[in-house]
Amino acid sequence: MKSLLLLTKKNLKLLLRAKASALIVIFAPLLIILILGLSYNTSGPFGLRIGVYSTSFTEDVNSFMASLQEQEFKIVKYEASLNECVEDIKLGFVHTCINVPESLKVDGNTAKEITFYVDPSKINLVYMIQETLKTKFNFKAQQISQEITANILTKLSATKTTLGEKSSLLSSAKEKGLSASTSTESVRATLASLDLALPVNIYNVSVSNTTARITTASSKIEEAITKVSATNLTATEKAAIRALLEDANTKLTSASNNTNDSGSTSLTTIISSLETDLNSAKTKLSTASSTISTTSASLVTATAGLQESVASLDTVLVALNDVQSNLNSITVTDPATIASPLVTKIEKVSPDSTYLNYLFPALLVLVVMFTSLLLGTTLVLMEKNSPAFLRNFFLPLHKVTFIASTYLTTLVLILVQIVIILGVSLFFLHDSLTAIPTIFLILLLAASVFTFLGMGIGYLFTSEETGVLASISLGSILLFLSGVILPLESVSPWLRDLTFFNPYVIAEKLIREVFIFNSPLSMMWVDLLTLLGYVVVLFLLILIAESMLHHNIVNRFMRHHHRQVREKEKLNKTEV
Amino acid sequence: MELIELKEVSKAYNKVPILEDVNITIEEGDIYGIIGVSGSGKTTLLNLITGFIPPTKGSVLYYSSAVQGPRDLNENLHKMKKHIGFTPQHNSFYPKLTVKENLLHFGNLYGVKRATLISNVKSLLHFTKLFDHRDKLSEHLSGGMRRRLDIACSLVHKPKLLIMDEPTADLDQVLQNEIMYLLQEVNKQGITIVIASHHLDSVENICNKVAIIHEGKVQSHGLIDDVKKPFLKDHFTINLRPGSNKSIVVSSLQRLPVKKIVDRGNQLIIYPSDIQKTVSGLLQFFKEENLYFNDLDIRKPSLIEIFEKITQNK
Repeated sequence: MKSLLLLTKKNLKLLLRAKASALIVIFAPLLIILILGLSYNTSGPFGLRIGVYSTSFTEDVNSFMASLQEQEFKIVKYEASLNECVEDIKLGFVHTCINVPESLKVDGNTAKEITFYVDPSKINLVYMIQETLKTKFNFKAQQISQEITANILTKLSATKTTLGEKSSLLSSAKEKGLSASTSTESVRATLASLDLALPVNIYNVSVSNTTARITTASSKIEEAITKVSATNLTATEKAAIRALLEDANTKLTSASNNTNDSGSTSLTTIISSLETDLNSAKTKLSTASSTISTTSASLVTATAGLQESVASLDTVLVALNDVQSNLNSITVTDPATIASPLVTKIEKVSPDSTYLNYLFPALLVLVVMFTSLLLGTTLVLMEKNSPAFLRNFFLPLHKVTFIASTYLTTLVLILVQIVIILGVSLFFLHDSLTAIPTIFLILLLAASVFTFLGMGIGYLFTSEETGVLASISLGSILLFLSGVILPLESVSPWLRDLTFFNPYVIAEKLIREVFIFNSPLSMMWVDLLTLLGYVVVLFLLILIAESMLHHNIVNRFMRHHHRQVREKEKLNKTEV
Repeated sequence: MELIELKEVSKAYNKVPILEDVNITIEEGDIYGIIGVSGSGKTTLLNLITGFIPPTKGSVLYYSSAVQGPRDLNENLHKMKKHIGFTPQHNSFYPKLTVKENLLHFGNLYGVKRATLISNVKSLLHFTKLFDHRDKLSEHLSGGMRRRLDIACSLVHKPKLLIMDEPTADLDQVLQNEIMYLLQEVNKQGITIVIASHHLDSVENICNKVAIIHEGKVQSHGLIDDVKKPFLKDHFTINLRPGSNKSIVVSSLQRLPVKKIVDRGNQLIIYPSDIQKTVSGLLQFFKEENLYFNDLDIRKPSLIEIFEKITQNK
């Protein structure tokens, strides 16, 4: 146990006394944690860049955009074409593209459709984008739904008020109608109670009596004629009266002839009977007359009431027409549309594929990154620690040649790996054959960047172990800040922009564009130039490092030499 | 003809002077020994000659040809490197390459044409007796073989100047002799050799010129005989064979014109008043008595003695 502790203590001492080892052992995890802590220590909203396309950027669209901006989403307007926006998703300029209709007002029973386009290859982001935007859309849909419902309710409320207002008129009309009804019923009852039955007596008057009487009347008419002649009347007047009297006498004679019947009743009796009947009829007619007078007054009142009632009903009718037109103005009547006025449709900018397809670019770059970093570091340190290193300084070669040779060595190994990986990948990803030459070129550039980074580490450190540890640390940082594990959109805003300069991110983006979207190289020249820029800058830095290394090696060589001298002297003294 | 000339060369690290005002000239065909105690500055001097480090003051001139005249080494280092072969103190080749591969690798990097290189490699393999081991990984070679391979690597491009830092360090006497013999053979091929070593006897054996450095200064330099001149002795030394009758020798010496005899075991240091008479008398005595001795150092001091004197005086 004691030995174990002693050995452990010795190991720790040795490790910590080698400055580079101590530095990397202690500070590498600290650095990783620090960088990741600074990167992801945020609960802020995801830094999504949302492209918005609309045929016209109306107030509705602008309001919708403003609501998105409230959540700190970066909005990019696309006025030219939707396709431009979709292409930008492929290029990674925007995360999603929303096709917003000009107006979000729902006019009929058809819900408004909002289409948003997503890149399914960003598998750790696509669902988050969908969820985030769906939440946003649901909120908007809720708003619109509330507006529609409020509109309906306002109209119903107006209807209710109108009906409330007009119900008194209807009540009044109803009362007046009832009153008229009562009046007419009363009139009907009064009229029904009238006795208008006529007497049915038989008047059998005796003809003999009648004839006698007619004869008497005739003689009296003849007497009258005689007397008329004696009057002072004019002859014309006398002739007219005489004619009339003679006519009457003639008719009486005729009547006497007609009534020359023995069985007829006495005329007096008949007349008497007639008088009685006439009196009875007179009474009845008198009663009917007074009844009609009374009824007439009631009917006038009833008429007035009915006229008022008609006027009220007219008013109510107008009000009902208004209500009807008001209700008719509600265009959204489908409950489904009222509940969900906005329908979201998700379109994918690339055809659905397997997870391997989506992960393939990241995996490729991951392999290339770690291999290049480690090879770059190892080769430089191998050369630095090689016994032949000192001899190399006496060779008539430029520093660039040594750097280029290390780079080329790494590249050859990486190329072999890439060929193997791409070859094997064809087994799983049959359709990717056409993209392979471009991917190859991108990987070549990426491998160059990572190789130079690895070589830089190699120049910084002295032992292979610490160099490898530093390379792995750097690779881990680049990986963690690549968006492969955690989306870059969740990185702190101040660091987010920096992460887009991560060569891993650039290389992965380029390969994804080629591999998934079949984008041509001409569309990616900015990223390609960035990678190329990295290569050039890193190469120059390594050239400087190589020059500094020469100075450092000379000093180290001299120090080593003098240390050896001292050790020898010490040894000699001990031997003496 | 001069090959390398150091003019007023000084070197300091962090303002601490390591070498001061060095003025030496190395001529074509020389085997030039740089000797000094550890830390005296000989490795620094060697590095200045190779161009590995630039001088703080002064200049290192290289005479690439009689026509072109001297050129500053540091200003023309890239061109000059082709003419210089350097063998550092420790092995300087790729252990995971075979002997032949190492030679071909460095030869190619020096820009030697393919046919010439193959011929050079072959002759070097024979010359360094590594031919039978040409396909062995270098890490599997013995110490002496490694040293020979190192020298072969430095010679693969046929340099005019071979610079070696402690070529016999960490080698046993047999291997030291082997290497020194090899260097003499190299020199016979017209290659100028500069050696920094603290094995003074080896240096004395093969070098025609030396520079003695002490405390950052060249105390003496030039042909070994010239270096020795100021140190000609007033005594001579006789090394007797072990078991010889020393008392007889001493008594015979006392009869000769001798001022003082110092007894150092089998070695007697004799301070004569007349060296000629003393030596001839002594030789006559040995002949008559049928005695033998190992050697008789009559006049010149060894390099070790001179070196000791210089360093002790300082």
